[in-house]
Order: sequence, then C-alpha cells, then structure tokens
Amino acid sequence: MVQTSVVRAALLVALAVVFDAVIGPYLTFGLVAPNLTVISIVVAASGLGELQAITLGFFGGILTDALGVGVGLFGVGVLGGLVAGMLALRAGSYQRKSVSKPLLAVAVFLTVAAYDLIKVVANGLAGFSGPSIGGFIIGGMLPDALLNGILAYIISAQLFRLVRNKGGR
Amino acid sequence: MRRRNSRFSKGLISVLILGFVSLVLFTVYVREGEAGPLHTVQLGAAEILRPVRSMTAAVAQPFKNMSQTVGVAFQKAESKRKLQQEQLKNQELNAQVARMQRENAQMRQLLDGRRVSFKYAPLARVVAPVGGQFTDKVVINVGTGDGVKPDQPVIVGDNTLVGRTTERVTAHTVEVLLITDQNFAAGANILPPANFDPKSGKTAANTQPGAAPTDARGITGGTTMGGTTGGSTSVSNSSGAVAAASGLLQTTTDGYLGVDYVDVSAKVKRGYYVVTSGRAGSLRLLFPPGLFVGKVESVSSQDINQYKSIVVKPAVNPDDLGYLRVITGW
Repeated sequence: MVQTSVVRAALLVALAVVFDAVIGPYLTFGLVAPNLTVISIVVAASGLGELQAITLGFFGGILTDALGVGVGLFGVGVLGGLVAGMLALRAGSYQRKSVSKPLLAVAVFLTVAAYDLIKVVANGLAGFSGPSIGGFIIGGMLPDALLNGILAYIISAQLFRLVRNKGGR
Repeated sequence: MRRRNSRFSKGLISVLILGFVSLVLFTVYVREGEAGPLHTVQLGAAEILRPVRSMTAAVAQPFKNMSQTVGVAFQKAESKRKLQQEQLKNQELNAQVARMQRENAQMRQLLDGRRVSFKYAPLARVVAPVGGQFTDKVVINVGTGDGVKPDQPVIVGDNTLVGRTTERVTAHTVEVLLITDQNFAAGANILPPANFDPKSGKTAANTQPGAAPTDARGITGGTTMGGTTGGSTSVSNSSGAVAAASGLLQTTTDGYLGVDYVDVSAKVKRGYYVVTSGRAGSLRLLFPPGLFVGKVESVSSQDINQYKSIVVKPAVNPDDLGYLRVITGW
C-alpha cells in the first residue's frame, strides 16, 4: 500500500521553505513569485490524515515566518500554511487513493490566492504600506496564483514520489 | 458516520486553535520591540542562513550579469546587430571602467574621502536580496559589531542615499530597506542643478552669486521653511542654498519613486536634483541633510490637486548594488 511518510513530508516542506528563503528573492518578479512552500504543503498534506495535514501546514508556516520569507511578519505564514493544509485535505478527500494533478493545481491556486490576500491585509494591519487590494487582486494575486498552480501541475508528480513510500511510515 | 463527524470536529478544533495561535503570534510580533523574542528568532535564522545566502549570491552573480547582457542584446533590431556587438564591447569596457572608477573612488573614500561630520561603518558588500512580493531589501555584511543600529542611512560612494537599515541587525549583517521600497520615506528638498553638485554633495546659494560652495552635509542649523518667493514656496537651509521645493520622498503603490506633498505652486522642473532635507521645521529627521537621491524625471499637476505629482529617477539602480556604507553618526 502506498502511504505518505510524515517525516519525508516534513523534510520536503522544510527544504522548500529554505529554498524560498534563499533562492526565492532571485525568482521574484514584481508581485509574482514561485511559492514552493505552499506547493509542498499542499502536495504532502493531501495524502496525510486530518490532524497531520494541519500540523504540517502549521509547521511549514512557522518555518516560513522564522526565516522571514514573504512579508516577514510572524503569524502570516502560519495562517497561509493552515489554509494550505485545509485545502490539501479537501483535495485529498475527493480522491482518496491518489490526488490528481489538476485537483492539486486548483488547490495550490486557491491557497496562493488566499495567502496573498492574507499577506496584503496583514501588511496593512501592521502599518506597512502595500498595493491597493483591487489592483493587487488583478495585477498580483491572480498571476501569482496562476503561476503557482501551473508549477504545481508540473512538479506535483515528482514531489509525490519524494514523500510517498510503500507501506508503513 | 459518528466516527467521521468526530474526526471532522477534531480537525476543525485544531484549525481554530492554530489559527488563534497565528493571530496571537502576529499581534505579539507587531507589538513587541526589535529585541522581542520573535524578532530574535528571525535574526537567529537570518544569521544561520547567511553563509548559504552569500554562496547563492556568488553563484547567481554571473547569471545576473548574463541576463543583463542578453537583455541589452535583444533590445535592438537584427539589422543593427553589428553595431550592437560593438556597442556591447564598448559597454563591457565602460562597465570595466565604471567598476574600476567605483573601486578607485571607494578606495579613495576609505583613505581620505570621509567627511569629518559623519561617522561611517566599514565599507560593506551586498550579501543577498531578501524579502518577497512587497519588499525591496538587501542584506549587507556589517552589523552591530561595526556600530550599526536600526534606522541609519545607507549610502553608495560618499553621498548617494540608497536606503536605511531596518531593525534586523545581527552581529555581522544588517538588512537595508531600499529607497524603492514602499515603506521607505524621507524628507526631501528639490534643488535646481545650479545649486547642487551631486558628485561632491556641495550646495551653492543661488541668491548669493559667487558665493563659495558649501558642504550640504555639514549643515548643523538644519533646514527651515522659507517664505513664499514669487508665488512659489522656497526652502532655504543654513548654508544659504535655496531649494525649489520640499516634500516627502517615497515610493508609490504603483512602484514610482516620487516626492509627495510638494505645493502645486512650487517651481520644479525636470532634471532638478532631489536631496534629503534632514529637517522639517524644527524636527530633526532620520537622515542628514544633503544626501543625493536622484533627479526629477517628470512633474505634473492638476487643478483639483493641492500637490504636484513628481516622479524621481534614483541616482543608483537598486538592482545593481555592490558596496554600500552605513552612516552611523552625524
């Protein structure tokens, strides 16, 4: 039986966060940037149990915040991670055996969109200036979510192979 | 069915609890000072990642140069390819000359170029860019060990402002918020070209023909708002230099660096220089006066607006920073 290894999933998410922290700034084009952390959480959490998936999202989020990825505000990454975990669970519940690539791409699209909105709102709440929500939704959030959705569609199969092992954990 | 419901409620409860935790973390982070535990965690993590970031920056540099070269090459039409190749060679030579001149200037500054009125941290190298979608920051390799603190001006060469230090200062690194970041703001004066030399940072009083140039950064009395001269607001500082206008330098949400709150009657033209004002009335601002920021690129105004819309072209490209210096005191 094919199962998702919790340890491998956590390692994948940790590596993705470090990648985003170190390489991410070089791959950011205005308001659009690949978000490997979200993709990893969604892919890894889609094959986990409810509590494990949510904990994995929290873990990825807290690492993101600690390494100052994204807006660098503590709590924002955690919320994004939780959203990723929840949406991955929904995707997983539709197809129990193996989640299809299009479904994961949609989950990543929605997660990144939600995460971007959280970031803009949190930025404003923290007193920092940022783009206007209306302009950001069209010029930032949608292209960003689309890019990450496509990216998830392309690499999700490879990521699945990394976190899944035959039998046991 | 009951088992499934219980699993669902367990998951929902954990989401609610962790969501609450995240909100608490966010509130604590925003409310705590720069020495707070969450900020300390981020500083520690930044310190741990520093070697990896340095290594990545070293690896990325050739690719960055290559992409710039390719970008330049594809700007021209195919018929002009020969001319372009020649141009590229010239550009390479120019770049080499510019680099050598910059290094030369940096060395000269290290030897004797320092201003008596300023205290500097050692010359620092850009380690890596940081941040993401809404930020424009870099990390440089000086820190608290070199006397660097939060909110200190960061310059290129001797006089050109590129940003300020943020609260993320470690023993060996500091994060720099660049002038093109939307959270950057500085009081600014706009000076006619005749009144300011961007290379030396000296201002000259246009009201006193033949007056000796004055070092703008040596001003101790600060900048005071002048009266209305000929229908336009003028600003004068203790050196006698008269600015065409003063306002707040910041980057708009559209990504344009500009000077806001400039009176609509102010006589500002394209090509005028933008420098830090250092003071607003009797208040001492974050930056010393006279640091060069850039040139006015466009000026527009509408009858319904109280202020002019002024776009500024930065003196240095924030994407191409090499060596920087933090002013630790003035």
